[in-house]
Amino acid sequence: MTTTASVVAFDQVSKTYGTVRAVDGLSLTLHPGETVALLGPNGAGKSTTLDLLLGLKQPDSGTVRVFGTGPREAIVAGRVGAMLQSGGLMDEVMVAELVRLACALHPKPYPANDVLARAGIAQIADRKVNKLSGGQAQRVRFALATAGDSDLIVLDEPTTGMDVTTRQAFWATMREQADQGRTVLFATHYLEEADAIADRVLVLHRGRLLADGTAAEIKAKAGARRISFDLRDSIDEAALRALPFLTHLDVSGHTVRIQSADADATVHALYGLGAYPRNLEVAGLGLEQAFVAITEAEEARTR
Amino acid sequence: MNSLIGLELTRALRNRKFLFFSVLYPSVLFLLIAGSADSTTKVDGTGLTLPTYMMVSMASFGALTAVLMGNSERIAKERESGWVRQLRLTPLPGRGYVLAKTASAAVVSLPSIVIVFVVAATVKGVRLDAWQWLALTGAIWAGSLVFAALGVAIGYLASGDAVRPITMITYFGLSILGGLWMPTTTFPDWLQDIAKWAPTHAYAALGQAIEQSQAPHAKDIAVLAVFFALFTGGAAWLYRKDTLKA
Repeated sequence: MTTTASVVAFDQVSKTYGTVRAVDGLSLTLHPGETVALLGPNGAGKSTTLDLLLGLKQPDSGTVRVFGTGPREAIVAGRVGAMLQSGGLMDEVMVAELVRLACALHPKPYPANDVLARAGIAQIADRKVNKLSGGQAQRVRFALATAGDSDLIVLDEPTTGMDVTTRQAFWATMREQADQGRTVLFATHYLEEADAIADRVLVLHRGRLLADGTAAEIKAKAGARRISFDLRDSIDEAALRALPFLTHLDVSGHTVRIQSADADATVHALYGLGAYPRNLEVAGLGLEQAFVAITEAEEARTR
Repeated sequence: MNSLIGLELTRALRNRKFLFFSVLYPSVLFLLIAGSADSTTKVDGTGLTLPTYMMVSMASFGALTAVLMGNSERIAKERESGWVRQLRLTPLPGRGYVLAKTASAAVVSLPSIVIVFVVAATVKGVRLDAWQWLALTGAIWAGSLVFAALGVAIGYLASGDAVRPITMITYFGLSILGGLWMPTTTFPDWLQDIAKWAPTHAYAALGQAIEQSQAPHAKDIAVLAVFFALFTGGAAWLYRKDTLKA
């Protein structure tokens, strides 16, 4: 296997349930060592995409390759570790027993005690699996996904059910995985997570890839800057709308909010209108707003 | 897969309710039914005493309980909880899960058979040749695989609240029809005609033939083989359907 080979390759993959196209002609490639966030609103096709990647579902058309083989072959070879939101745990057994099972099943296992320690569940090792809190169960799932030396780790909404502190601790563990040179793909709806951790963000909407780039690039794509100000005089909306580089306009009362791809040019033109904006603020767009802007634009385009 | 069988077993042995019903309950039932019977009354048309007859019935019943209950409810529950999906993310082959379940159920069913035999021999003085004890254990144990396959099929057919009533109806229906609780000779004729074709009837008949020092009847083996093929085929089909859907 050469180092330049792709980790995951989707080629024109579609999956339909009845009349709903959950995944629609999706093509994407993941490269070794990347930490990739899969972002999208509910129903965007994130879970279906992960199911296809892991061979839990078969595409209606197109091909899914993982390390150059089918998903199942890659899993059997021990190259993929995964935790799913819908992945249950065997009940009435102890945490340590379950982790030992995962280690025994993995072709390149780590010692179970290391796996427990790294997932931060060593102190609950002798607890019954069905007596765990939501966050603890997530950590056990994480332990199952990292029981061996896999090259790709797939995580579906891994921090669901965790409070802020455990979530941060969890992401530190996650980053260790990435630092060891693994490829990490995680689906999330916490945008700050994608912003802070991923070096690549995929935005999925209605089963299609809407954006693919670094968090910064995604923000730029959405219109880089947010401009807000108050106008005392009557507001000429048509004139504001005609401002250069404006991508979004929102007027409520005397307050005007603008998104612009080039804030300097827009503000310059604003003064050119003879307007006297008060409380002028120019700020970068968060990934969250960028995400909303991108999906809204897409909604408007397809409506 | 051995690690999964091991863990399934550990779990089964920890579950006292399951252990009681599959391991001890058949012996308790044997004592209730055969307890007051004297050791000379013969069951119509078999030439066997009631305790001897009921010993095979209850051993078969115990094995049936362990493999049918052990498979159907657990598989349905674990399909629903997503554990089956989680296992599909490991290198364990797809059928490994079903095989591990069946293997661990079979390990639990063995003591339930043996305990009925021990109770029958010590309390009710049932005497058989050594080869008969061994052949009985082997036949009842091996025959239980038919119902293990049925348990798997039910586990993949039903889900949630439906699985328990379906299992119970199948379980009681098969037990009664097979004459595991009372000899089918006490049934009305029309029910006897139906019962003859029940897999449990053929199952118990295996053991009774051995007790009568005969080879098992070809018809009973054929009935069991047909049901085994039916249940295994059904289970495989339902399993594949569930796998595609999940």
